[in-house]
Amino acid sequence: MTTHLLARELKRGSTELLVLALLEEQPRHGYDIARLIDERSQGSITYQVASLYPTLYRLENRSLIEGRWVEKAGQRRRRYYRLLPAGRKVLASQRSVWEGFFAGLDRVANLRRA
Amino acid sequence: MDWNRIVGEAFGQRQMPEDDVIDELAQHADSAYQAARAEGSSGDEAERRVRELLRAWSADPDVLTRRPRRPPTVVPPKASASGLAGFLGDLRYAIQLMRRQWTHTLVVVLTMALGIGASTVLFSVVYGVLLKPVPWPDADQLVRLLETRQGSTRPMRFFTNVTFLAWANKPTTIESIAGWSTGRMTLTGTAGAERLNVAWITSGLMPLLGVRPALGQWFDVATGASLDEQQVVIDDRLWQERFGGRRDVLGQVLRLDGAGYRIVGVLAPSFGFPTRETRAWIPFVVKPGGLSMFQAIARLKPGVTPAQAQAEGNARGRAAPDPGLVVVAVFGSKGPVQVSVTPLVESMTGEVRPALILLLVAAGLLLAAATANVAGLQLARAMNRRREFAIRAALGAGGGRLARQLLVENALVGLVGGACGLLLASWLVRGLPSLLPSDFPRVTDIAIDWRVAAFSIGLSLTASILFGLAPALHAGRIRLAPSLAEDGLAPVGGGTRTATARARLLLMAGQVAVAAVLLIGAAVLGRSFLALISADRGYDPSHVLTARLPLPEATYTPVQRAAMLERVLDRLKRVPGVTAAAVSTGLPLLRGDTLAAFTMRSPRDGATVQVHTSIRHVSPGYFAALRLRIRDGRGFTDSDTAAARTVAVVNRTFARQYLGEAPVGSRVPAGYKHGETDAEVIGIVDDFSSGAVTDPVAPELYRCSLQLSDGFDDDVPSLIVRTAGDPARLVPVLRSIIGGEDASVALESVMTMDNRLASSLAKPRLYAILLAAFAVFALAIAGVGLFGVLSRIVSLRTREIGVRTALGAAPADVVRLVLKQALAVTIGGIAVGLAVAAAVGRYVSKLLYGVTPYDAVSYGAVSIMLLLVVIVACIVPARRAARIDPARVLR
Repeated sequence: MTTHLLARELKRGSTELLVLALLEEQPRHGYDIARLIDERSQGSITYQVASLYPTLYRLENRSLIEGRWVEKAGQRRRRYYRLLPAGRKVLASQRSVWEGFFAGLDRVANLRRA
Repeated sequence: MDWNRIVGEAFGQRQMPEDDVIDELAQHADSAYQAARAEGSSGDEAERRVRELLRAWSADPDVLTRRPRRPPTVVPPKASASGLAGFLGDLRYAIQLMRRQWTHTLVVVLTMALGIGASTVLFSVVYGVLLKPVPWPDADQLVRLLETRQGSTRPMRFFTNVTFLAWANKPTTIESIAGWSTGRMTLTGTAGAERLNVAWITSGLMPLLGVRPALGQWFDVATGASLDEQQVVIDDRLWQERFGGRRDVLGQVLRLDGAGYRIVGVLAPSFGFPTRETRAWIPFVVKPGGLSMFQAIARLKPGVTPAQAQAEGNARGRAAPDPGLVVVAVFGSKGPVQVSVTPLVESMTGEVRPALILLLVAAGLLLAAATANVAGLQLARAMNRRREFAIRAALGAGGGRLARQLLVENALVGLVGGACGLLLASWLVRGLPSLLPSDFPRVTDIAIDWRVAAFSIGLSLTASILFGLAPALHAGRIRLAPSLAEDGLAPVGGGTRTATARARLLLMAGQVAVAAVLLIGAAVLGRSFLALISADRGYDPSHVLTARLPLPEATYTPVQRAAMLERVLDRLKRVPGVTAAAVSTGLPLLRGDTLAAFTMRSPRDGATVQVHTSIRHVSPGYFAALRLRIRDGRGFTDSDTAAARTVAVVNRTFARQYLGEAPVGSRVPAGYKHGETDAEVIGIVDDFSSGAVTDPVAPELYRCSLQLSDGFDDDVPSLIVRTAGDPARLVPVLRSIIGGEDASVALESVMTMDNRLASSLAKPRLYAILLAAFAVFALAIAGVGLFGVLSRIVSLRTREIGVRTALGAAPADVVRLVLKQALAVTIGGIAVGLAVAAAVGRYVSKLLYGVTPYDAVSYGAVSIMLLLVVIVACIVPARRAARIDPARVLR
């Protein structure tokens, strides 16, 4: 039960971090985000696309990001998300939490082998 | 591929996300499909991968919801807050609400700003003109003196030397008495010729006012009996312009109309008596003998009323020596002296007082309409917030607590509206001097000072409490259960069932009533103004250029003047386009008639009649230039010279009063002396109004200027030129003709007759326009308000209308339902408005010409107009009501 809960929270926390970090660079639409996570982790983060949109909507409801429909000639309209100032703060704090977490893991479990 | 359809099908019977989410997922699916194809997958393979994705998404549709964005919620103040903290909390909450509901705030603030702005402007005018004390010490003791004779029908315009001297000698009710008259003189010197407004004043005038010159002194009266009349006190502007503000100006000589006047004093720029335009003051001594007329002022002894002073003035005047027949010429009556004593401010402003009070009342009505409108809006908003209040009441807030918060909210809106109104007013007041007619009294005293500002702020607070009262009372009576119940928002029979609904309809009817009153006032004043414009004055003002030509005694003898005028007329008549040109003593709409009284034998029965008449000396083209109508006989011609027999023309009033059945051919004295019969009446001219069209027409006697053996004795003759085209085009020609004759002569008051007429009607026009502006605004308020109230009623009655429609009511029935209520409100409002207008009508009658305050046309037109506005305001709500779909409403 506890491990199940931890896994869920870890996943949710990491998805948020990934999305926020990607939106920090520039506004992106959902498919773009999914594709980049896949590409940049070189497939190592087995990422479940199903949780992407719920995450986006959750972040939007918390006013961390903002979605906006953009129409370009000859294309489907796409919903682009951009990082809001509150999102930027959350991203910074999540980064430091994850950094501390990894440093701790590293010290204990010697994750980064030379 | 239709990805939207495919995504939708993937969710199937399960909970379907909103369209936006479907759209977004479809977009993702499309991109994923395209990417797979680009990587080389077959169509089937790519579609399989996308369908996998869809299965993952549709596994848990609950998390695929995006909450609609909402404006940030405003946290209401704590229920328990009290005292200052509570007030500050209320204030903060009110500010947040104002910002959040900014369209509502904007409408309310603008409405209040216009109402308060209009009231503030009118109050500043009424205060500055009617109430503010004149700037002299103990000004309430200053009174204006006028005089007439019992039985006279002419308006009182002056005081006489006889009564003045009788009263000035040891008076009991007044401390001192002083006199003045005004005119224009030509100032000559190194800087060229200039016409100045000059006042001739008795040496006691300035001490009576309590004013001292800024430099130098008043006229030197220390030597007593013989006052040097060749002295002058000048105003600050003349001092700066002609003497560069140098202190050695005292003792220098000013040349006015060719004579030298020694400068003894300079006045501060703030001084403006008798008028703001007066530039120089010259002493004048009231002399006994004959009858001379001028203006007079007195200072009452402390505690004396004007009535007491008037009694003394009458007694003194009646005891004075009788100046003889000339009194009849001047007053048209020989009755005993009647003096009028009026407080100075009242006498300066008496003419505009009724109109200003009328306009102030109109502005007040406008503010009332604006307040009622805002009250309606606030009430509607309070209704929308019933649930909020009910919940807060359920959480422990008392009715008084909620009422206080509503009052704070309304006061804030009202104050902001008031501040905007004050701003608007100060902007308008700055523009007033150029908007008001030039002869409007005390224009420079109109300003927004602290009193006006206090009035404005007081007004906005009062108004906001008034429009906050209804919602606040409402909040105090919140009943929990019905307010929280869904149906509480839609009472059956919505229109008039609840107290709030009735209050709203009452406010609406009140706005219609105010609009009706203002519209009737504007219509009546407007029709009166039109009647004034189109009134038959007896002359034709179109295509006529007029001017005054000062030919002062110092440079022109009457004979030289007559010759000069003849040369000018000769040249004018040769100008192409000029159809008639004439000179005369006096001009319509310019005061300054010459009056004469004499006795003569009546042609009717041979009895001696007492004649009093005004006299005009005119050149032969006069009747043609003004297009006066000759009723009988003929006008003057160029052959009526000194060599021909002496002739005269009289107006119909003269003929009717003094000449009997066959006036042409009867004889009158050419020199206006008793017993002479040397002039033959050759023509009767129709009466014309030489002043306002409302003034009674006096008898007039015309002499031909070519027959005057003593020359032309008026030193500022009037020129009248009729043209075929635009008379204004003639101005440069006229100037060059005069300049060609004598370069030192400056024409003055060059105006087309039409313009002269228009400026004489500037006040009634201004009043009509102002009232019309108020009325239009009130109408707009009422129209918009009615629209809002009806829309609201329709939306409240949606269910009821749905039921009616379901039970078989046709769209026409529904429209009738809405119209019936609107018309009931409007007809009630119109009825009240008409009644009020009729009740106050008699106060307006003084301002009207050619139309009664109970003018049926105005009343009818206003009623029809209001009904039309109501029908227009009904169209949208009624159509919406008719389109209500019972199936949807009743689901």
